[in-house]
Amino acid sequence: MVSDTDVQPVDVRDPSVADDTDIDRPWIVLVWNDPINLMSYVTLVLQKLFGYSLEKATALMLDVHHKGRAVVSNGTRERAELDVYRLHEHGLWATMQKEDAS
Amino acid sequence: MARKYSGPLQTLPGGRFSLSLEVQDRASLVALIVQLREILLTTSTADNMRRLFPAAYHQDPEHDAEYQRLMRDELLASRLQSMNTASEMLQRDPTSKSIELTAAELEEFMRSINNLRLVIGTMLDIQESDDLYDDDESQEDDPSGVHRQLYHYLGWLLEWVVTAQSAAL
Repeated sequence: MVSDTDVQPVDVRDPSVADDTDIDRPWIVLVWNDPINLMSYVTLVLQKLFGYSLEKATALMLDVHHKGRAVVSNGTRERAELDVYRLHEHGLWATMQKEDAS
Repeated sequence: MARKYSGPLQTLPGGRFSLSLEVQDRASLVALIVQLREILLTTSTADNMRRLFPAAYHQDPEHDAEYQRLMRDELLASRLQSMNTASEMLQRDPTSKSIELTAAELEEFMRSINNLRLVIGTMLDIQESDDLYDDDESQEDDPSGVHRQLYHYLGWLLEWVVTAQSAAL
């Protein structure tokens, strides 16, 4: 039994955290199609930077080529910034955004 | 019987590579790299350089300005470093028919060639529909003909570097 004077645990929401849905939303890294980079080069860079298999890297490269862009990685904002930087180092046209941003 | 051309790059034991390029081609590549290096050190914000410094936050100019403030110099330093390595490597053993290089040097060389292609391709306003391997004889009067030939040559060389690196993965 629990008396009226017992202290009961209650759920406390921290509005500064729980109401900010942006914090939990992951970031995605996009590679965009460009007419200069070789398809074989893009595939190799995706393999080298992310450890993707030839099949996965090729599929992503083809998405970039045919659909105009592909999501190549996701994670925290810091992780996405690092991935974008490494892709830029290799000359790929990469950007980042929140996952559900259009 | 003619032997199949296996390209300018050979894989050597121990993860090393051998690059066989004519001395004149090596000198031309060094000149191009030095030229790009000079441009990056003086006018890296020029429009033709835009592909070397793309936006990271394409939907958010404010965040992108902050990103560029923090990362642009680092990206510039990385590009200059790779071009230094490539330039030094190309001037090694000037009388030898081939140059031996490490996997790390090949990576820097690859990035340098791609830097050059991005800049020349931007200058030429290369589009997806362009036939990169068309006959340049039809463009003899085109003032951009030399740049087109360079662009094709760099693409040919990069393809071989990619092939060698892919085989070594």
